[in-house]
Amino acid sequence: MSGFIECLDVGKIYAGKQGAVEALRGINVQCAEGEFVCLLGLSGCGKSTLLQMIAGLELPTSGQIIVAGRELDGPSPATSIVFQDHGLFPWMNVRDNVAFNLKARGVAKAERLARADEMLALTGLSGFAGRYPHELSGGMRQRVGIARALTTRPRALLMDEPFGALDAQTRGHLQAELLQIWEQQRTTVLFVTHSIDEAVFLADRILVFTPRPGRLAAEVTVELPRPRVPGTPEFAAIAAGLRVALGSEGGSE
Amino acid sequence: MKGAGRYLGILPLLGLLAAWQAAVWAGVYPPVLLPSPLKVVDAFWVFGPAIIANAGASLLRVLIGVGLAFATAVPAGLLIGRYHLLDQITDWSIQVFRSVPPISLIPLAMLFFGIGDTPAIVLIYVSAVWPLLLNTIFGVRGIERTLLKVAASARASEALVLRDIILPAALPSIFTGLRLAIGGGWLTVVTAEMIAVKSGLGYMILNAQMTFHTELIFAGIIVIGVIGLLGDQSVRRLRRWACRWQEGLTVSEG
Repeated sequence: MSGFIECLDVGKIYAGKQGAVEALRGINVQCAEGEFVCLLGLSGCGKSTLLQMIAGLELPTSGQIIVAGRELDGPSPATSIVFQDHGLFPWMNVRDNVAFNLKARGVAKAERLARADEMLALTGLSGFAGRYPHELSGGMRQRVGIARALTTRPRALLMDEPFGALDAQTRGHLQAELLQIWEQQRTTVLFVTHSIDEAVFLADRILVFTPRPGRLAAEVTVELPRPRVPGTPEFAAIAAGLRVALGSEGGSE
Repeated sequence: MKGAGRYLGILPLLGLLAAWQAAVWAGVYPPVLLPSPLKVVDAFWVFGPAIIANAGASLLRVLIGVGLAFATAVPAGLLIGRYHLLDQITDWSIQVFRSVPPISLIPLAMLFFGIGDTPAIVLIYVSAVWPLLLNTIFGVRGIERTLLKVAASARASEALVLRDIILPAALPSIFTGLRLAIGGGWLTVVTAEMIAVKSGLGYMILNAQMTFHTELIFAGIIVIGVIGLLGDQSVRRLRRWACRWQEGLTVSEG
């Protein structure tokens, strides 16, 4: 089986002050186009490291990562990443922030601003184009981050615990909105989280990671129809299975 | 800092003025050494055109010296802060040269550039360039790492990263450097003018001492202080405007 995103026996070792630290070992992942995949694990299990490598921001120590048919040697134009701490430029207003990825590609100003406005409308931010990031709430900042990632029409959206710093209510809203956007745009989503409920709510497929060294411990396909409701017996059964797979009391919420 | 509170800073100055007048009345020094405040006010009328001309000469030198320092130190600092190799190459040199007080370079400056504007401007440049350089480097280093990752994943060109990300991120720190540079440049110009130039406020004060116009010395000192204050205030205003995107600006700004 081959996929749109493929990790072949990927390993990552960091040279630390107290010797080398093995962050990931022997990771094999295939991800088809259009799929919503969650990388679930406790902190330190290497799930974010894997995402950063798929984003081309770090190189694997061993193995291969292939995105859209090409082995990575840097960020692929087919992917966009969304960070937990949103990574908005404080000196740019919302519209300029959203247009930045297109500016980096040399898209003409009128065109990139038009595209930015389109994505702001999609994420419900049209009224905030002229605001600066510090004037926005955490949830709105992350919407801006998502809007920016979508401007380049990525074939895959890479999300690194994007809702991890938000309160439960905002988080719930954004999860639902993300699913809507995903269904509209038909983009692949790779979503890192430490929350079992979040993974079950969102994903087609959940990859469970365990730490020291980071390994892929289990793979769970979620067949529940959307919208999924946390607390239903089917939902709870999958969550319980994941809790066992994580191998501890762990997983928050 | 709203309303009347911002003017509270005048109180110690008024106190000083009162003490000065009291000292004059008490006859601590003979009037020829310690003129009364009124005599000094009078000096502003008597020597008005000379004071303005000399203040203008000093100001122009500082503007040129600090301007040249800004134009070289900021780009250099952005590059040194961005590229580790440049940092490694320049680190020792910066640490060595920034420890040299600009005033100690006056003899050399006079040997190389004679008497006139050039040695003064060179000395101002030397005193302004280090705070600007170090604060620019410091500002670049403080950049949030996620922002650089955003740029990398967008595959932004190095020129775009420097202009749209590194420069604005370092801007608050660059303004801190500019405040220090203007302060240092202003101190240096007065000193340099006492030795290496035949115009400017420093020269005027020294000349007033030799001709026993103590009231002009006091007037000169007041002008130096007021221009220093105004210079600092204008940089602060400029900073507030240029960094208006900054969160919680009021915490660091008075």
